Amino acid sequence: MTDTSKTVLSIAGLRKSFGANEVLRGIDLAASDGDVISMIGASGSGKSTLLRCIPMLEIPDAGTVGVGEDRVSPRGGRLTRAEEATVRRMRCQLGFVFQNFNLWPHRTVLENVIEAPLFVQGRARSEAVDEAMALLDKVGLAAKRDAYPAHLSGGQQQRVAIARALAQHPRAILFDEPTSALDPELVGEVLKVIRSLAEEGRTMLIVTHEMGFAREVSSRVVFLHQGHIEEDGTPAEVFGAPKSERARAFLASHFDRNRQG
Amino acid sequence: MDLSFIGTMFLRILGGLPLTLNLWGLSLLGGAILALGLNLLRTTRVGDKVASAYVFVFRGTPLLIQIFMIYFGLAGFGFIRHSVLWPFLREPYWCGLLALVLNDAAYTSEILRGGLRAVPRGAVEAGRVSGMSRFTILRRITLPLAIRQALPAYSSEVISMLKATALVSTITLMDMTGIARAAISETWRAVEILLSAAAIYLALSLIVTQLSVWIERRLSPWQFQRTNR
Ligand SMILES: Nc1ncnc2c1ncn2[C@@H]1O[C@H](COP(=O)(O)OP(=O)(O)OP(=O)(O)O)[C@@H](O)[C@H]1O
Ligand SMILES: [Mg+2]
Repeated sequence: MTDTSKTVLSIAGLRKSFGANEVLRGIDLAASDGDVISMIGASGSGKSTLLRCIPMLEIPDAGTVGVGEDRVSPRGGRLTRAEEATVRRMRCQLGFVFQNFNLWPHRTVLENVIEAPLFVQGRARSEAVDEAMALLDKVGLAAKRDAYPAHLSGGQQQRVAIARALAQHPRAILFDEPTSALDPELVGEVLKVIRSLAEEGRTMLIVTHEMGFAREVSSRVVFLHQGHIEEDGTPAEVFGAPKSERARAFLASHFDRNRQG
Repeated sequence: MDLSFIGTMFLRILGGLPLTLNLWGLSLLGGAILALGLNLLRTTRVGDKVASAYVFVFRGTPLLIQIFMIYFGLAGFGFIRHSVLWPFLREPYWCGLLALVLNDAAYTSEILRGGLRAVPRGAVEAGRVSGMSRFTILRRITLPLAIRQALPAYSSEVISMLKATALVSTITLMDMTGIARAAISETWRAVEILLSAAAIYLALSLIVTQLSVWIERRLSPWQFQRTNR
């Protein structure tokens, strides 16, 4: 990205421990408008924890998280009242897509998508419905508007979850392994949707084990290892010529597995 | 059996239906509000202890003793006889209602607690990341899911409370059972009278059962409809 582009997401000096387990050991990361950043790393390296710290689903022990013009630096593992208000503003500017979709089971597909526009942003119902239908059309699920999540396949649920995230008009979308809970034959339909978002120039931070996909859609790839960012560069740099021994080993094992797969 | 006698008694007992419905409805309403309060109390450590103790006491003792304690026992405390509540607490109606509310709250709060524990964490997190306030999450996600989960258990609590209202007849109230007891002591024809009263309770229970199935289907259609993917 060029220097003139705006920073939408910034993380500085982020630390997080669970008891004696130090999971994040000082993370610095910033995303500019239009960046598509893939985050890769071994299981347990802290990818989910880092992603969950951004909307404060986990409260970091130290460091600062900024979204747009808002930023917080929580201390002592909890948020003050003022910080809580800031965090809610930050959340409204983010979309978050979970590994397990986390749709609201008691609401239909359409109701899932209009929930935040209606009950958080206070938009008019007809406007929210029109926009939600356009989004559902985009992810190929307009026909399922009145279905309940329990009646959808995993791939369909994840596409609804993406439409739900988009309905918030997010400045950045965070994905935590969006295809890891899917049967192999359903992975493609979800990746296709995410790819189309990349082509629209959306700002995204994607935790993934899909190396081919990361290489293809990302503008940047970061490799996380034991709570540190070990590599940070273009896909060509990180996949083609990783600087650290650990990244080399990780990538080698991954591409091996994929070849055997 | 004397059908015309049964018919007469049936109508006479129906005269107690308004009081039974009144006690039943208000105790469920008061119990539900208190149950919600008890669950909110459980979010703090001290509150959790208080709520547990409350539930332990009111579930662990007979309702009849609770009714007697309130009706006969409270009068023993001078400060209650001199309080502004005394005009209420010397009335059997208010004592009976109070005991029913307190008792129902203990059971309902446990049913609600079970429902709340079954709410998937991911559904709440999805609410948090979408920017919802705690109250909106409670109103739009947690409670709707908890209530759906708790509905079958709650419908048996509703029926239990219907039957529990019969105990207020022991403190002179003329609900359906109170009227039946009076009629028995006048006529000594217990079987016909008791069958008449039982039939009315049974009919009300049937309505609750049907209603609960209907509500369950309305609230959780995805558990009943089958569609192709
Ligand atoms: N809520 C929690 N409580 C305690 N420990 C946790 C918690 N969440 C994560 N951890 C620990 O933090 C470490 C990092 O977990 P995290 O889920 O961030 O890894 P990850 O990189 O996302 O792994 P994966 O690829 O398997 O999803 C792990 O050791 C995990 O056990
Ligand atoms: Mg993870």
